[in-house]
Amino acid sequence: METLLRIFHLIALFFPPYWSLHYFNALLVPIGQTIEMAAGGIFVALIVGMLTGIWVGAGLPGGRWIYRLLSAFRSIPDLTLAIFCVVVVGIGPAAGMLALAIFYSAAIGKIFADLFLSADRNPVDALRATGATRLSVALFGLLPLRMQDILSYGFYEFESAVRASVIVGAVGGGGIGTELVGTINALDYRRTSTLILVLILVIALIDKLSHILKNKPIAIGILLPLGLAAFWANRPAMLAIPHALTTFGKMLPPQLPADAIRALPGLFGETFEIAVGGTFFAMLAALPLGLLASRNLSPAFVSIPVRRFLEALRAIPEIVWGLILVSAIGIGPRAGVMALAFHATGALGRLYAESFENIPTAPVRAIAATGAPRLAVAGFAFVPLALAPVAVHTLFRLEWNVRAATIVGVIGAGGIGQALFNAQQLFFYRQMMAYVVLTWLIVVAVDQASALLRGKLNLMEAKA
Amino acid sequence: MWGRQSCLQPPSGGSLCMLEIRDLNVRYDKRNHVLKGVSLTVGQSERVAILGSSGAGKTTLFHAINGFAKADSGSIQVNGVEVTQLAGRALRRVRSHIGVVSQRHDLVDSLAVYQNVMAGALGRWSAWRALRFLFWPAKEEMEEAAAALRRVGLEHKLRARTSGISGGEHQRVAIARALVQQPVLLLADEPVASLDPKLSEQILALLCGLAAESRVTLLCSLHQPHLAERYFDRIVELQDGRIAGGAVSTFLQQGI
Repeated sequence: METLLRIFHLIALFFPPYWSLHYFNALLVPIGQTIEMAAGGIFVALIVGMLTGIWVGAGLPGGRWIYRLLSAFRSIPDLTLAIFCVVVVGIGPAAGMLALAIFYSAAIGKIFADLFLSADRNPVDALRATGATRLSVALFGLLPLRMQDILSYGFYEFESAVRASVIVGAVGGGGIGTELVGTINALDYRRTSTLILVLILVIALIDKLSHILKNKPIAIGILLPLGLAAFWANRPAMLAIPHALTTFGKMLPPQLPADAIRALPGLFGETFEIAVGGTFFAMLAALPLGLLASRNLSPAFVSIPVRRFLEALRAIPEIVWGLILVSAIGIGPRAGVMALAFHATGALGRLYAESFENIPTAPVRAIAATGAPRLAVAGFAFVPLALAPVAVHTLFRLEWNVRAATIVGVIGAGGIGQALFNAQQLFFYRQMMAYVVLTWLIVVAVDQASALLRGKLNLMEAKA
Repeated sequence: MWGRQSCLQPPSGGSLCMLEIRDLNVRYDKRNHVLKGVSLTVGQSERVAILGSSGAGKTTLFHAINGFAKADSGSIQVNGVEVTQLAGRALRRVRSHIGVVSQRHDLVDSLAVYQNVMAGALGRWSAWRALRFLFWPAKEEMEEAAAALRRVGLEHKLRARTSGISGGEHQRVAIARALVQQPVLLLADEPVASLDPKLSEQILALLCGLAAESRVTLLCSLHQPHLAERYFDRIVELQDGRIAGGAVSTFLQQGI
């Protein structure tokens, strides 16, 4: 109860948002930096991702190893990479850009490789049958077969890179994220809410833009000059490679002092507590909200506002929720749990609503046709049919939240993320590297476990 | 052996065989044998139809000939070259001399027709030339594509989108692609399976006519015995992975 009061008290401090023309003018620079980081990062990632994707998809030598490497790199959370890059190339947009470039190269490379590997086999085999080299098969078959998907994925990834560039800013990567942390640290909450509104606006604009450009995927071409310019603007930092390598050398080999090793089970426990707690509370809130938001179950005057509310919840990234909540209820896992719960409620609510909308009507009608009361219809048809998709979405979100739990730790929500950030702030580089490796191991382990579990669930469904 | 001109001439050894398969076994796993001791000899310029129901092993036989399916035992010689042990560049070289037309939709829809046709030349082009052709086709390359399309009666579709052509035109483009390859052996895997009877006749007549004109050996799998009798020198029946009846070329016996 006391906590709730404190949150309400804090929310009051955010209003009204700070408003001045001068401030908006000044904000153009960080907004530009955020977009610059995203464009530069994606520019590099598209080139690297395309080359590696073709390499793997065409079955050139070593492709399997490259694929494994991409999968492994993708499991390092973007914020963890950003902390690492801030150390290596220094505070500023170059660090954010480098982090995004690494993260999205792996992500795009793997997606493109998957696209190429799953391309229609018939034309590809027909080309192979002419005795063409693998590269020629890729040029004449894989690329044209998948061009449409490549372009739309490229734009989609740019969109998510803009979101991510806000996040990497929070640890010194520059842009809106850095500003946001600055205002919270200065207890200037009215500016914080202005920045959050700006952030929501920028993301909404990009969303809108990608919606308009969906039928014109070739528009991704605008990323080329934009990305090149961004890359060029940050080249001094990129060129400081000798310094970066020396710093990197200081991180090796990863090492933890004895007391840090003793603290590890506690850190792991906290990270999982944040992930599981956040998912659990999100599920509790998202089930009724999802029912209210589904268009086939609720009248429009209910479903539309609920949908908007869910959108607002998920437009604010976990890390920003975390920043706000840490200043409201203090540092500790509780802030982390709530940060994840708020964002995940928005995401799960929408997914649940979609699942409810997609339930086949025939079985529900068949039960209703027996004259069964509404509750019985729900119990015998609706709930059993909705259970499987709801379980799958929740499981996916849990997987995602483990990743997010390692991230929110950075702003004081506890767990391994906090240990990582503290090590960086104290220049304990070897210790920091050890936490990076551990974070990676956690994410990989959970991904594998979740994939295994999903496989088992599918198996059960197939048997039933 | 694989010179463009010489391969249409009888090899100096005196053999008239273009394809010689001996005791071929192919299996997909330990229990499922797809081809069981298949032996087949096809002479130069001979047109052979392979009849058999679905699952008899026709496609697998073709896949074994151009190295897509691995032989467990036995041998396959194409123009005197043993292909079962080939891999990498050597296999690609053999493949560049074997044209394939299949029942499946195997053109790249998002390319133009001429690009699909010239894909037949990929076996003799470097990757750089392939890349250059995609963006900047040379005049003689366009002429080659037009010539191949003219032979199948589709010259007017040269620059058309492949996604916009009909099923019969699709097979013609696939044949044109095989022609660009200048093959010594043409494998047609149920080329008319997805076409109506009238179109089937047209496509088979075209295929066999072109094979005779270029003196290319043609191996074609079919479902329809009456078409096989009308258009081919010889019929071989494949049943449950085995050749039914005699597999010796009557064509060769007659000394033609």
